[in-house]
Amino acid sequence: MSIIKKLALVIVSLSLVAVSSVSSAKPFSPKKPIELIIPAGQGGGADEIARLVQGVIEKNDYASKPVIPINKKGGSGGEAMTYVKKKAGDEHTLIITLNNVLTTPVNQPELGIDFFNDFTPLARLITDTFLVWIATEGKNTQGVETFDDFIALAKGNGLVMGGTGSMSEDELLLGMMRGQFGFDAKYVPYDGGGAVAKGLVGGESDFTLNNPSEQMGFYQSGDSKALVMMTPERNPAFPDVPSSYELGYPDLEYYMMRAFMAPAGIDAEVEKYYTGLLHTVYHDNEFQTFNIDDGKLMSWLEGFGLKDFLAIEYAKHGEIIKNFN
Amino acid sequence: MDVFILLLEGIFVSFEPLNLGLLIFGCLIGLFVGAMPGLGSVNGVAILIPITFIIPPTAAIIFLAAVYYGAMYGGAISSVMLGIPGASTAVATVFDGRPLAVKGEAMTALTAAAVGSFVGGTVSVILFTLFAPPLAEVALRFNAPETFALMVMAFATFVGLGGDDVPKTIFSILIGLALSTIGLDLITGKPRLIFFNIPGFLHGINFLVLAIGIYGIGEMLWTLEETKGKVQMSKLSVNMKEVGRAFGALKKTIMAMNIGSFLGFFVGILPAAGATPASLMSYGITKQLSKNSKEFGSGVPAGVVAPECANNSASTGSMLPMLTLGIPGSPTTAILLGGMILWGLTPGPLLFTQEPEFVWGLIGSLYIANFFTLVLNIALIPAFLMVLRIPFAILAPVIFVLCVTGGYAPTQSLHDVWLMLLFGFAGYILRKLDYPVAPAVLSIVLGPLAEKALRQSLILSDGSMGIFFDMAEKPIAAIIMYIAIVLLIMPAFGPLYRKYFKKAQTT
Repeated sequence: MSIIKKLALVIVSLSLVAVSSVSSAKPFSPKKPIELIIPAGQGGGADEIARLVQGVIEKNDYASKPVIPINKKGGSGGEAMTYVKKKAGDEHTLIITLNNVLTTPVNQPELGIDFFNDFTPLARLITDTFLVWIATEGKNTQGVETFDDFIALAKGNGLVMGGTGSMSEDELLLGMMRGQFGFDAKYVPYDGGGAVAKGLVGGESDFTLNNPSEQMGFYQSGDSKALVMMTPERNPAFPDVPSSYELGYPDLEYYMMRAFMAPAGIDAEVEKYYTGLLHTVYHDNEFQTFNIDDGKLMSWLEGFGLKDFLAIEYAKHGEIIKNFN
Repeated sequence: MDVFILLLEGIFVSFEPLNLGLLIFGCLIGLFVGAMPGLGSVNGVAILIPITFIIPPTAAIIFLAAVYYGAMYGGAISSVMLGIPGASTAVATVFDGRPLAVKGEAMTALTAAAVGSFVGGTVSVILFTLFAPPLAEVALRFNAPETFALMVMAFATFVGLGGDDVPKTIFSILIGLALSTIGLDLITGKPRLIFFNIPGFLHGINFLVLAIGIYGIGEMLWTLEETKGKVQMSKLSVNMKEVGRAFGALKKTIMAMNIGSFLGFFVGILPAAGATPASLMSYGITKQLSKNSKEFGSGVPAGVVAPECANNSASTGSMLPMLTLGIPGSPTTAILLGGMILWGLTPGPLLFTQEPEFVWGLIGSLYIANFFTLVLNIALIPAFLMVLRIPFAILAPVIFVLCVTGGYAPTQSLHDVWLMLLFGFAGYILRKLDYPVAPAVLSIVLGPLAEKALRQSLILSDGSMGIFFDMAEKPIAAIIMYIAIVLLIMPAFGPLYRKYFKKAQTT
């Protein structure tokens, strides 16, 4: 009898162990390659970060499955966002953001993208800022040494500004500056930040609002110079460029965020896994060194902080767009 | 003399065991991705970028440049053997390469492609070595009005592409231009012509989707009808006589080599153009200037040499703005540029002095990569020719599968596969009706470039077309524009002139 009892106990306890091991959620790990959607073309800033993240993950085996970057540049990010929206609940899709994720849903309501409900924000890794650039030998900007010189010049003359495309960050910034300083410029769109930088040094445009990395080569060779950086503090990669706060223009503050989002409707475990993966990447030495040398700001943000940040940025961009049109 | 010492050092760098091994490996991978429809140098380089994090930057760039380079050669193989462009850069190679293969002269076509590529690659790397800094200056001064003038010149040469039936050619050009406007408005950033609100149209009509449809599917349907599934040609021997004949045919392609090398290089160093437009423009201009321009499209070696020479030349050329200005000259160099930044290099005017080993190692490796790919290609020709012994009933499904994967690969979207099939049928019908399709293919590539440059220029000039004819302010743009106008009216007056001239001769 006792043996049977013992046996029964063993069977019961064994089955309990089996049941409990099934019911307690196992930590998520990817079962197939992870698609990383890039809402921009190859060779741009978002593409660069996406491929860096991919490289860091693969080199160090941070994930059990490979990360595959896919560029969907159509419709100012509209194509990428529509794609991710349709992937609701998919556990193997991520999207890296440019600020076009904040502007495209507003500018293209016909896409039917609901920024707050169609995505699961995971983490922000980096923020990039903008500087006002002129060519050192610019024929229309001779004698301009400071940002105030530049404003005075720009007010009287219709200068030409090179930018990365209509309704992109730099055109919105031009709209912002128009409101703040009362000057306007002729906006000529180019293919990406590199071409914008070249247009400036080649003499086709008079000024640009480039990211730090886009002008780095020309800045180091002395072909272009920056007048102001749109941040509260100076950046170690550009020690001689004053911040907008120093110059007394604290309203001139603008960031481009490099954050990652997943589709809507994923489990909390999945969210936790990807946030953890990104956190590991963020603290990787190589990742840190590369971004700091490139003039980027390392700015980890996750959870509610990130949600608040996105809500504020979304509202801010809505305001800029409204004033722009 | 400094240049030669630096170059020699660069060549030594690329002979280091790791670098040389990666170079040969890269060439082979490049040949493969180039030959696979839909997989081109862009995908090849993008896929391989993460691997390069574990090797030194110089080895990495040598490896990726070899892939880029090999892909330029590889694209020709499927263009000639299957009639499917292996990569966007090899679309123009189909125009004459395929008819040559159908005529039983595949050997000639492949030899022309390999030698043309070698010549283009070598000439361009020599130009690169000798004139990099002044050419960077040219690229810097070549802005929107100049680009538009160049595009007008390219279009002017296309009018002559479709033979004497000018109205049908213009129709074909306009179809291509109309298709090229689908997607994103380049200036306002708004979507346009998104039919039925299908999101797939947001990225526009991918050029390779059109080309694979028209040439892959269209050609397959056409051949099925012609051969009824039989072997296309059975008597194919590779002997010294054939080889001799193939090399002999190259004598008539000297002009195509010149145009391809120099034009390709020049187009390559211009930002945002790259090897695809270069190969198409080279084909158009060579045809226009050739004495027997009427035979182009029916299988002449010069029609293979012109684009193949140009795409290799342009791929080298596009590395110039990448290294010296930090701007990509082609989609592939855009990725290489991203790679360079990730490896911790700052592309720009100082790169040549700050990182001589990297820059000259790359340049040196290009000389060697050229040589290796030529040898590989010539040696592999008999293997490629085996494809022709396969009965078409077996080959057709293979081609179909390659076309479908090729349509899917560039954008990873099924939407494009359907579009590709649609274009295939449309291409077949157009061919039946005797419409030239090449001009449509060319227009869809150059349409967006031309539109963007035109609109940028008009913003700069406040809407005045005078910006293109201003000899004092923009002499380069004006000169190119006048040449374009002459090229445009040449084919129109050509027949008239010949008529008059013949009359004068007979009387």
